[in-house]
Amino acid sequence: MATIGADLVRQMAAGDREAFAVFYDRYAPVVFPLILRIVRERADASDVLQEVFWEAWRDAPAYDAARGSPEAWMVTRARTRAIDRIRATRRRSETFVATLDEGIAAAPRESAPDAAERAADRGTILSALDRLTDAQREVIELAYYAGLTQTEIAEWLKQPLGTVKTRIRLGLERLREVVKASP
Amino acid sequence: MNHEPYETLAATYAVGALDGEERVEFERHLAEGCDVCEATLRESAEALAALARSRPPMIPPPAVKEELMRRIGTAPGRRGAPRRRPLVWAVGTVAATIAAAAFTGAYVAARYEARLGQMARESAALHAKVQREEAALQEQVAVYRNAAELLRDPQAQVVSLRGLGPSPEATGRVIWHPVNGGYVFVANLPSAPTGKAYELWTIGDAAPQPAGVFQVDASGRGAHRIPPVEGGKPVKVFAVTLETEAGVLTPTGPMVLASTK
Repeated sequence: MATIGADLVRQMAAGDREAFAVFYDRYAPVVFPLILRIVRERADASDVLQEVFWEAWRDAPAYDAARGSPEAWMVTRARTRAIDRIRATRRRSETFVATLDEGIAAAPRESAPDAAERAADRGTILSALDRLTDAQREVIELAYYAGLTQTEIAEWLKQPLGTVKTRIRLGLERLREVVKASP
Repeated sequence: MNHEPYETLAATYAVGALDGEERVEFERHLAEGCDVCEATLRESAEALAALARSRPPMIPPPAVKEELMRRIGTAPGRRGAPRRRPLVWAVGTVAATIAAAAFTGAYVAARYEARLGQMARESAALHAKVQREEAALQEQVAVYRNAAELLRDPQAQVVSLRGLGPSPEATGRVIWHPVNGGYVFVANLPSAPTGKAYELWTIGDAAPQPAGVFQVDASGRGAHRIPPVEGGKPVKVFAVTLETEAGVLTPTGPMVLASTK
């Protein structure tokens, strides 16, 4: 599975534009919804998507398959760039809390029956996030999708920093187990 | 040192939430080389990627790919591993690159400007054409609407025209109102030669009166408004002749259509 992607990146590194087109078709539909979930605006998401794939083309020679799958390489990059974008927006607008509030309110968690139904439809695992406790899922979503740091999450939830750290760690461990256990 | 605290830091780092001094400390720890933390980060990234993959895929707007393909199409080719070069060479290369870039930039800009100018002209021409066609259509619609209106009047009469001499296939109808004038509709009339036009005549007891010039379209059809006859004098015959474009006061050219008595 990963080898096709890794081959594509190798060909991209050699300047193969066709390989890049295939690579894009393969990964853009995966990272686009992630970017959109973070930045919310379709136009912004398109900008970030373009930036992310441009960087992938530029940085392809530096890709090391031993350090991760091309998918993880792209998802990490996409998440980082999307968060950069919303942080810049928040700094400019100085309405940090309002933006965040809106963002969280606008992203209702998928209800479990929906997720189960969809997972069944697609024959895939139930969204791994649904295997976490609500408290674990909350901190991971605030960090990963809303771009809050541990300190900000602690302030936001009015919880001690240590509690936030523990929840993140346990949540992420659970996530890794679920993913490892799935085919 | 006990490694356990780093495991919490690694998890927080993996979701991008580590901040402050802890972040500095963890990055130093990573830089020193820690297989355990490397593995935690790698597995976390894979898990988060799997999470992204478990969501429904979405096709992004096609413009993004088009733009990317254009960008990488015009990007300079891949360079090999950087080598150390003497400074002079480096300066020379940089200068040459800048000059080449400036030249390429100017060339591309000029090309685009020319192309944009051409597109603007084409667009303006198209716009004018559409406006002309729309105006012509509006005019046609007005003619038909008025003709239909005229037909409702019980005083209106319909007169048939028959093709003569040079155009026996031609046909025509005049809708005529003794006070308001009327319309002539023709079909199967060949297009008038360049510089020529068809002219309608109303003929009563006196000499034929000119009633305007008109053209037919490519399919041989035409429509023309006939002004009322001065003083409302009765018209006995309608006739069409081929004349010069500007029209004449008394018929000189061949008669192509005339009403049957």
